[in-house]
Amino acid sequence: MERWILFLAVILAAVAAVQGARYLSRGKRSSWTVLWMLGVFVCQFAVLGIRGEMRGSCPLGDTGEMLIFSSWAITICYLAIGPVFRLSLLGLFTAPLVGFLLLLALIPGMLELAPPHADRIDTWRESHAAFSVLAYGALGLAAVAAVMFLVLDRQLKGGQFTKGLFRNLPPVRDLGLVVRRLLWLGLFLLTLGVISGVVMKSSGDTAAKHLLAAAGQWLAYLFLLIISWWRGVPPKRFAVVTVVLFFGSLLIFALL
Amino acid sequence: MDLICMGLNHETAPVQVREHFAVSAETQGEKARDIVALSTIGESVVISTCNRTEVYAAAEHADVGLEYLREYMAEGHDPEEMEYLYTKSGQDVARHLFRLVAGLDSMVLGETEIFGQVKQAYKQALESGATKGVLNKLFQKSFSVGKKLRTHTRIQMGQTSVGNVAVDLAEKIFGKLKGSEVMVIGAGETSRLVAKSMMSRGASHLTVTNRTLERAQELAAELNGEAVSFDQWEDALSRVDVIVSSTGATEPVLKASQIEAVRRKRKYRPLFLVDIAVPRDVEPEVGEIDEVYLYDIDKLQVLADEARESREQQVRLCEQMIEEEL
Repeated sequence: MERWILFLAVILAAVAAVQGARYLSRGKRSSWTVLWMLGVFVCQFAVLGIRGEMRGSCPLGDTGEMLIFSSWAITICYLAIGPVFRLSLLGLFTAPLVGFLLLLALIPGMLELAPPHADRIDTWRESHAAFSVLAYGALGLAAVAAVMFLVLDRQLKGGQFTKGLFRNLPPVRDLGLVVRRLLWLGLFLLTLGVISGVVMKSSGDTAAKHLLAAAGQWLAYLFLLIISWWRGVPPKRFAVVTVVLFFGSLLIFALL
Repeated sequence: MDLICMGLNHETAPVQVREHFAVSAETQGEKARDIVALSTIGESVVISTCNRTEVYAAAEHADVGLEYLREYMAEGHDPEEMEYLYTKSGQDVARHLFRLVAGLDSMVLGETEIFGQVKQAYKQALESGATKGVLNKLFQKSFSVGKKLRTHTRIQMGQTSVGNVAVDLAEKIFGKLKGSEVMVIGAGETSRLVAKSMMSRGASHLTVTNRTLERAQELAAELNGEAVSFDQWEDALSRVDVIVSSTGATEPVLKASQIEAVRRKRKYRPLFLVDIAVPRDVEPEVGEIDEVYLYDIDKLQVLADEARESREQQVRLCEQMIEEEL
């Protein structure tokens, strides 16, 4: 059942991306993107609900669930931030990333068919997992906004002013501001995740490695934000580091 | 009732003639009521802008109505001036009004200000009781046609003047210009226009510098800014967001090393540079700095020309749509 809902979510994300891109090619913005993404969010929520029931705990027990949870966190951040800051095209840039993560979760073997039901719940472990994934939602969206910044920066420098993408992207300064705010939010959530991880009862080498990796990322993000606040960082470099750090995080967790 | 129209515009009459026929914005309704008092004319709207003065009317007979209208317009004017007037009747009136409202008849093709000016003129005529069924229907229709053309074509897309192109680019970098600081190096006419556009869109502070301090002071006074002597402008580099440069210097005035020196102090904030001077005032290497967006006069002119060409290409489409609406 949850696979079909997941499949529907992938379709909705693809529709958001394709329709948004088609509107953009005509120099317009699609007001439907936010609705498609709302549909994606509902589907993700339903799948996570079903998996949570199956596990009797937070649905973060396998790679598939982590991917769904991460994409859900990115979607919820977009829905909370995109319309509020009137960041046009954020949805169009977010939809492919969300769709890609959900598609990976659909690969056979990613989701356990019969996940074990938890006998008891370790609150700290649950908090560690939930805060960490929510943090990656915010950090993932920061990476999306950073990509938008890099695209606009390239167009401004290269004099490509007539494309629909250029006309519809938010101003450079606004994008830079949103990236910073999302990184602070992500860092705050990651802090809670790391603290919960330190407090939770350790269960082997993998958990310790995960915690170590999370702490390393926390330090990297903290360093970037402190340096940026204290002495400033050239905006393009800041955006590149934001993207590299996020995809680096995903890669590290995939390898662990 | 027949539709008639009489008037003159920037294409048919020079400014010294147009100004003789101009009607102040506050008295257009009053004028329209005076015209309705003429024999055979039942309704009227007077539109007067800096580029045109036109009277739209509904008369029992077009020929007679135009004759009375000509007599009315001739009052206080030389016969030679009357030769600049054009007349239209029947469907040509509606066609002309639709083109006018869509900006096809404007000096700057596709400009939007005319839409508001026609609306205001019609409102005054309506309030003074100079319009009834025929003109009410015509003007309401013209507004819906105007909106349709602007929505379904690209007649108003882009900016056609260098000043507005620069302001649009500034807004793509900073969003709203509110709170932004602008510095003008060299008080030439184009930089005055660009600075004026920036200030009108909300820039908070203007610094003007020029080799002749008096000239800088004049421009600063006009735009409510601050003049600084030419040997002191570098002090403002760490503060400003936009620099418009147009000096007559033969060597670059702004070098990459000067920007590099203040980057950390600026905390790598975006800097928008408009170099209008020929030869250029800003070293091209400045544009390679990460947070600096540098545009010279050629780049801005290309954008303005592209927008103008794009609008011209839309004229035929607009005219087709107007014919469908007639």
